[in-house]
Amino acid sequence: MIGATFVQKDTPIHSLDGRTKLLALMVIFTLVLVFTDPIYVLGLLALVMLAWGAAKIPLSSIKGILQFFGWIALIILLLNLFFYPGETNLFRISGPVAVIGFSGYITLEGILFGVAMVLRLLVIMIVAPLLVMTTPLPDLMLALVKIKVPYRFAFIMTTALSLLPAIQNRASIISQAQLCRGVSDFEGGKIWDKLRVMANMMIPLILGTFRDSQTLDVAMSSRAFGAPIKRTFFMESHFHSFDYVVIAFSCLLMVTGIVLRVLHLGVI
Amino acid sequence: MPSIIEIKDLTFSYPHTEKPALKNINLSIETGKFVAVIGPTGSGKSTFCYCFNGSVPRLFNGDMNGSVVVAGLDTYENEIPILAEHVGLVVQNARSQLFNVTVREEVAFGCENLGVAREEIRKRMDEALAFVGLSGFEDRQPSALSGGQQQRVAIACVLAMQPEVLVLDEPTSELDPIGSEQVMQVISRLNDELGKTIILVTHDMDFVTHYADRVIVMNEGEIVEDGTPRSVFSQAELLRRIHIRPPQVSEVALELKKCGIPIGQIPINLEEAVVEMERLRHAH
Amino acid sequence: MRTNIVIDCRDVHHTYPNGVEALRGITLQIRRGEYVAMVGQNGSGKTTLAKHFNGLLKPTDGSILVLENNTLDVKVSALSKGIGYVFQNPDDMLFCSSVEEEIAFGPKLLHFEESEIQTRVETIMKDLALESVREAHPFSLSLGDRQRLAVACVLALDPEVFVFDEPTTGQDYFGGESIMKLIDQLNANGKTVIIISHDMNMVAEHAKRIIVMNKGLAVLDGTPKEVFSKVEQLESLSLRPPQVTILAKRLGQYDRTIITVNEMCDFLKTDYLHVGGGAR
Repeated sequence: MIGATFVQKDTPIHSLDGRTKLLALMVIFTLVLVFTDPIYVLGLLALVMLAWGAAKIPLSSIKGILQFFGWIALIILLLNLFFYPGETNLFRISGPVAVIGFSGYITLEGILFGVAMVLRLLVIMIVAPLLVMTTPLPDLMLALVKIKVPYRFAFIMTTALSLLPAIQNRASIISQAQLCRGVSDFEGGKIWDKLRVMANMMIPLILGTFRDSQTLDVAMSSRAFGAPIKRTFFMESHFHSFDYVVIAFSCLLMVTGIVLRVLHLGVI
Repeated sequence: MPSIIEIKDLTFSYPHTEKPALKNINLSIETGKFVAVIGPTGSGKSTFCYCFNGSVPRLFNGDMNGSVVVAGLDTYENEIPILAEHVGLVVQNARSQLFNVTVREEVAFGCENLGVAREEIRKRMDEALAFVGLSGFEDRQPSALSGGQQQRVAIACVLAMQPEVLVLDEPTSELDPIGSEQVMQVISRLNDELGKTIILVTHDMDFVTHYADRVIVMNEGEIVEDGTPRSVFSQAELLRRIHIRPPQVSEVALELKKCGIPIGQIPINLEEAVVEMERLRHAH
Repeated sequence: MRTNIVIDCRDVHHTYPNGVEALRGITLQIRRGEYVAMVGQNGSGKTTLAKHFNGLLKPTDGSILVLENNTLDVKVSALSKGIGYVFQNPDDMLFCSSVEEEIAFGPKLLHFEESEIQTRVETIMKDLALESVREAHPFSLSLGDRQRLAVACVLALDPEVFVFDEPTTGQDYFGGESIMKLIDQLNANGKTVIIISHDMNMVAEHAKRIIVMNKGLAVLDGTPKEVFSKVEQLESLSLRPPQVTILAKRLGQYDRTIITVNEMCDFLKTDYLHVGGGAR
């Protein structure tokens, strides 16, 4: 299954305040959207990889996400290769591949833009899980609330994340039940068969989750969720010296990024 | 004793249904009582539970007539979060009523919503977790606990909000014997030591005889009997009609009585059964 | 003849990837036509063991033969023809859009003949009182109906062995008795039945052999009378024997184990109170 959950480790990244991590995340997101030059994006990627290294979490723990990304990356590359309106023709492809919108030439710009798109997406795909995997959900919620995200919204977001394991657990029971009813186990089977099995799973999964969510609704309101009273927060959060370092660095990065972009650097 | 719950002429129907889920319920429950609610599946027990904190009719829409007053608050006029300070609700599915990442967040959640100060939350959390026997579990993930522990966390969560009434809808039906026993002991102590009023829905008749002062029997949305465990479990005809199986010793005594053996009082627990059988043996 | 044995566990161990040792050496055999109950606290290993019977889990050490197949060598889907597993929550098993389709699903997968499937579905719906809801969506049914439908789906594959995971949990007495009647009927028709349960009274009344699990081991294995006569040992495992069993002991019956209400009534009338006419 695709999904990332908190991994307990004692590293500088883990001990950062949730707000600091949210800021750094926003800066990376913004810069990755602003720059299209693969070199610049590679720089950002290197920065993110550095953070992964510092968090001491192996990249293999988001194998599912990376696999999913692989397919998307392939599609993006192909689309850009054929359809990007570039000027520097590298070589010509003719014959049956010539479809509507395809000029017949593979262009340098097409390749560069495709690679840049893939890299940008990759940065986004791996930086978001890092936040979730190094920040306990309560801290994340508190950080959202402290940066003035409405409590209800912050709560719903973090609760949805916290319910993922329960949904995965239910999915595994359902898939076991279906195996017992004669559905074949596809070890390396055809994609079509896998899709059909997954479609069969969705009905009980959705209905079951819906039923649970009704219980959740009752449980939450029985515990005064939404009371017309100013809510208190039991958890506390504090900035430490390393937080200030990361905040300063993020701000610097952001300003530099804006200046470069104004000078028309880092774009193709 | 003054009554803490007053229900008058309560009738409730879910949308698009012909039969009402609850019909003509009149009830008054005294402060500090341990009340068991029994009845077959579909008799309206869960709907009944949801009435006490206003979940019916606020979360479960439908037609409601009559009134439910808990701790002086009419459930029709007061929002669920307001009632939550007076009525704690624990449901059957242990896992899906816990939604926080750690036990600490879980127990603090209700108090935070009520605007309780941080230091006070800490104090209440320590007390509540100690009461249910889960001190030191603050950092654990609720989803990784056993079913019995999860139910005890759920109880600690409502306990920290300091309600006068606890409503528990089949809290042990999905637990193993050890888990059930531990949960029942906590519920019993809530009543004995803290004086909480308990409303417990259960299918376990041994628990009913062991813990309850009063038994309410429901069938097809109505209260068909209301009395002590003994008065309920002595009525062979009623039990058969609505498919309730009394404790085994009561069942044996009812059967012997039917065969003309002069059983005195129908025993409802092992001790009473031993005494009664020995008495009969000596009388013969 | 060896073929009489449908499940043969030889020193089965199972350690989960997280290091939990759920089974620590189970050796037991289940014969064709037996009616076995596995009891024990959660975490005692009974569900883990049951999931070895249909290959959902494989032993990490030792081996298990199911209908003479080593589960390491066969797929779960292949075993499902011989072993039916009814999950605790019927909703986890159902996903088709009508009762009929749901029952026909398994046989279709196994490529039965169309006419054969039709007869089977009809017979099963008749036997399990599901005819009146044949067109209904499974999720619109009552819990009792959904549970019977889950059994029907397994029955449609006509397995030799049925495993029921907590068939009566969360049900009232009537609902529990209805499903148990169905299970009794399967056993009476010669099927091997294995139930996992916490309900001692039910187990005492229905099963013919009880396996008590504790900490990954089968600590007791025998007829209900043999097992329930060990009151102290059961209590040390926090398992309560039926109330009548303890009553009998308290009334001085040490050499004879009483496990059901009927037996208790007969005993009291004929032996204890001497009022004669024991059989009712």
